[in-house]
Amino acid sequence: MPAASAIKVMVVDDQTSMRAMIRRTLQDLGFKDIRDKAGPVEALAAIKSDRVHLIISDYNMPDMDGLQFLEAVRGDAVIGKTVFIMLTGSADKEIVQKAAALGVNNYVVKPFAPAALKEKIERVFGELT
Amino acid sequence: MRRIPIVQGEHSVVAEPDVVISTLLGSCVAVCLQDPVARVGGMNHFLLGEPGADSTVGAADMQRYGVHAMELLINGMMKHGAIRTRLRAHLYGGANIIAGLGAIGSSNAAFARQFMETEGIAIGRCELGGTHARKVEFMPYEGRVRATTVANAPPPVIKPKPVAEPAGDVELF
Repeated sequence: MPAASAIKVMVVDDQTSMRAMIRRTLQDLGFKDIRDKAGPVEALAAIKSDRVHLIISDYNMPDMDGLQFLEAVRGDAVIGKTVFIMLTGSADKEIVQKAAALGVNNYVVKPFAPAALKEKIERVFGELT
Repeated sequence: MRRIPIVQGEHSVVAEPDVVISTLLGSCVAVCLQDPVARVGGMNHFLLGEPGADSTVGAADMQRYGVHAMELLINGMMKHGAIRTRLRAHLYGGANIIAGLGAIGSSNAAFARQFMETEGIAIGRCELGGTHARKVEFMPYEGRVRATTVANAPPPVIKPKPVAEPAGDVELF
């Protein structure tokens, strides 16, 4: 069982309040090393220079959407295997299917309860301690 | 004139003329957002600001929280061509009507103000607080909004929410 405190996370969402809420949720789950960025471009630069284990990214962002971000991550030789969990809207079935084809590890439907985020992370990493 | 009434946990986005979105508020807050260039606007109606660490809250109830209600409203508007930096918000509600409920209204009002400040969204009209219910009517395309106080407001209608469907039935794992 992995320790949440040992997992480095990058949260990417264009809405500051949502990033703050996800950060608090992760802290409640025991995560300690949490970084966040408002967009994929900044996030890519950050995680290429200082790698993380888990990316939690919104889909709906103005400059580069979550699918493009996922594609950029998967296409990178260094960070390509980073666990990627996408946050989507409830009507985004097609987006989830595209994300699955691009190699997303899991997805969480917004609005989400803290338990839902925990469950999706644990499906990838195993039960967190 | 088409009318779209919304209740707690709902939002509506409109990009056509002659449509009125309306709601009835007590301690809840409604945010009316408009992009005057794209001529798209919308209103939400939320019960509380942010969820706590209580992980027993179901996904279907999360739309009653401001942080999610605002996300849904903003995303809905962006799908209709709105641009975040052009958004202007009118804030209503947050009254402390029922004795014994504490200052839920004040807390909601504070959340709404803080959210706009954090997200850099300009505030236009702001009628928050007080002790009376309000009826809010918003014409998103025209950008017109008005609120009237309601002396004896009926209890808020809470429509039963369907269980949130996780993006259809896509099961990855």
